[in-house]
Amino acid sequence: MSDLALHIPVDVVNGPTSLAFALLAAIAVGACVVVSRRHLDERLVPLAGLATAFIFAAQMLNFPVAAGVSGHLLGGALAAALLGPWLGALCVTVVIVIQALLFADGAVTALGLNVMNMAVIAAFTGYGVIVLALKVLPRTRFGLGVAVFAAAVVSVVAASAGFVLQFWLGGEEVGQSFGAMAAAILGTHVLIGIGEGVITAGAVTAVAVARPDLVHALRGTPLARTAKESV
Amino acid sequence: MKTKRFWIAGVVVTLVLAGFVSLFASASPDGLESVLLTGCETADGEITGGACVLQSAGDHEIGGVFADYGISFLDNEILGASLSGVLGVILTLAIATGLFRLLARGRKRENA
Repeated sequence: MSDLALHIPVDVVNGPTSLAFALLAAIAVGACVVVSRRHLDERLVPLAGLATAFIFAAQMLNFPVAAGVSGHLLGGALAAALLGPWLGALCVTVVIVIQALLFADGAVTALGLNVMNMAVIAAFTGYGVIVLALKVLPRTRFGLGVAVFAAAVVSVVAASAGFVLQFWLGGEEVGQSFGAMAAAILGTHVLIGIGEGVITAGAVTAVAVARPDLVHALRGTPLARTAKESV
Repeated sequence: MKTKRFWIAGVVVTLVLAGFVSLFASASPDGLESVLLTGCETADGEITGGACVLQSAGDHEIGGVFADYGISFLDNEILGASLSGVLGVILTLAIATGLFRLLARGRKRENA
């Protein structure tokens, strides 16, 4: 049975690199806590909890992407679309910590690496793409779906690029060259990203139909009111 | 839809995903794992020969009752997988909701 799920296991990236990324992750998560605290409405708390639990569940659902290869939702783009990038990154961080401490999924020593890739990088690149895409796409169910799909694809590939960087800094290639490995990682994650895009677009448009006010990305897009908000 | 009803519907969907749909998830190595396995021969998920990055990967530091999304003391693998998913969702929901509640409270105190 597979015991790793897109999570970096023990000893694949060396100690100094893991430690450096643990520090980076601590700073990034700290910033997310500070910013989220400023905006977090108490009424949003149960929904943020639900989004976190949903991401935990969705990460268990490996779908096939090629012969003998699977992938699963990372959830960074989903969380960011619903809750914004700061709170969204915190949701995924909670999932990754629970997985590492209780489910033996992802090394404890690799927490910083995994949090940077799947929580911080995925949530912020995903959110950036949604905001940009909603500037040109119509703000309809279709437009939102396309924006979220694109965001999910980019977020997964960006997260995997984070791993490639970490491996370049602190990994040791075995069995294949670094270039071949990097190409394989990025290529596979384009496929996984498409799966992530379909699921994320489905989930976010479903929420948008039931409760558009619960989609942060819709509120955050400036429409007619411009000058004051952009300051 | 009322927030409460939305939340209940969401929790039900999440529990079904973790407790039931997860049983049908692909058991193939995922994107990261399969690339790290390149160069190795595997049988039943165990590395049997060759040379690859994952060969030098260590065992998980903690392991634990829920290791690898099962329940270590249950002989029934399907029941273990389903239960560990359901318990994981409940734990995640409780921990996340608790942490975010603390975060929201901190904001109130600051504004007061």
